[in-house]
Amino acid sequence: MDYSRQPLADRLAADYVMGTLRGPAHRRFETLLLAHPALRAAVQDWQARLGVLSADITPVEPSPQVWAGIQQRLFGSPASAKADVDTFSRWWQKLALWQSWAALATVAAVALGVLLQQPLPVQPPIVVIMQSTDPALQQASDAIKTQFVASISGDGRSLVLKPISGAKVTAQQALELWALPAHGKPPRSLGLIASDKATTVLRTSLLQGNDGFAVSVEPSGGSPTGAPTGPVISVGKLQL
Amino acid sequence: MKQSAELPGLISRVALGDRAAFDTLYRHSSAHLLGVILRIQSNRAQAEDVLQEVYINVWRAAQSFNPALSQASTWLVSIARHRAIDSLRRKQTEVNTISSIVSKAGLDEEDTHDLLDHIADDAPGPQEQLERAAEARALQHCMQSLSTEQKNSLALAYYQGLSHTEVAEQMGHPLGSVKSWVRRGMQALKTCLERAAQAVS
Repeated sequence: MDYSRQPLADRLAADYVMGTLRGPAHRRFETLLLAHPALRAAVQDWQARLGVLSADITPVEPSPQVWAGIQQRLFGSPASAKADVDTFSRWWQKLALWQSWAALATVAAVALGVLLQQPLPVQPPIVVIMQSTDPALQQASDAIKTQFVASISGDGRSLVLKPISGAKVTAQQALELWALPAHGKPPRSLGLIASDKATTVLRTSLLQGNDGFAVSVEPSGGSPTGAPTGPVISVGKLQL
Repeated sequence: MKQSAELPGLISRVALGDRAAFDTLYRHSSAHLLGVILRIQSNRAQAEDVLQEVYINVWRAAQSFNPALSQASTWLVSIARHRAIDSLRRKQTEVNTISSIVSKAGLDEEDTHDLLDHIADDAPGPQEQLERAAEARALQHCMQSLSTEQKNSLALAYYQGLSHTEVAEQMGHPLGSVKSWVRRGMQALKTCLERAAQAVS
């Protein structure tokens, strides 16, 4: 379906913002939003139109557990670390009482130590150097041509894009990052990126079927069509 | 939401991993968002779970907030609404009855269905409040142009997060009619609001 088609985008966005888009369609729409600036724009328009409806809702103070839970899930609170230590020392005390178990405990400890030495099977991150497409720079050294460095986690779920020489954009422009699928299929938008600081992109699969990444200059708010409309200023190939 | 002028700055600091800003953002916005969530997910414990997910979402997605494109409060409210709707889908809870709007909003019986009662009043105040009031007036004006059925179905969908099918059950009308009331109502609102915006500029 062509989601950049205005009436369709507007109808779906209206359903989404109203809350009547449900079930798998709701989920699918949220995924599509990531890749289609036209849909995002339609959603933002509807949110702005109806936003005032939520302005006057009576506030309800949440219980303190909510904030504690958020802290715990995001940062892991010190309280839980302490609990682990407690469990451990209790376990140790019991063991000390049972002197006859000491020898066995030593064996177990050594075995545990050996186990802990084994590295976890973590896939190393993949780094993609993205070079400027500026014709004036093509003879320059790689160091000068390098505009961005993309580091993709081994599982292909997150990408951090760091500007090196950076790119200048005006207030009316934005930089958009694209995945370049294999076999010359059309680029897929990965969203807008900052020109002056690192941007993190989270997706379920950034590596599969991908040949590389590109950065284009778009109007602020991103490409209105879902495909790059401005000049592609930087390209990097994925070498697996 | 308190001091909404500060919100965009707070969100951009959160995008950079600033935990103090995250704390302030939570204190300024969580009560309002819980109010929004409770309209849709009336179970208090589940609503608080949703609120937790909302802020975890905010922490992770703060970079995607663009102050040039949307108001900070609108951005936060829409995350809350969608996570609340998600929670309804996950746990197919009993459909809320009309009486629960009455008790929650404290409205009179005859006003139960009136969306206008939920709209912000035009209290005087700083610039933003004035703008918001103007928007509210435009929306109020545009709401009046809708049919009663259109208004009622939009109110049930927006405030209670009901699906088309649930709105149809609540109103005792066929699904097809409800779908077209919602769709035509939204379309009429859009046209009317755009006309109002043009008239101002």
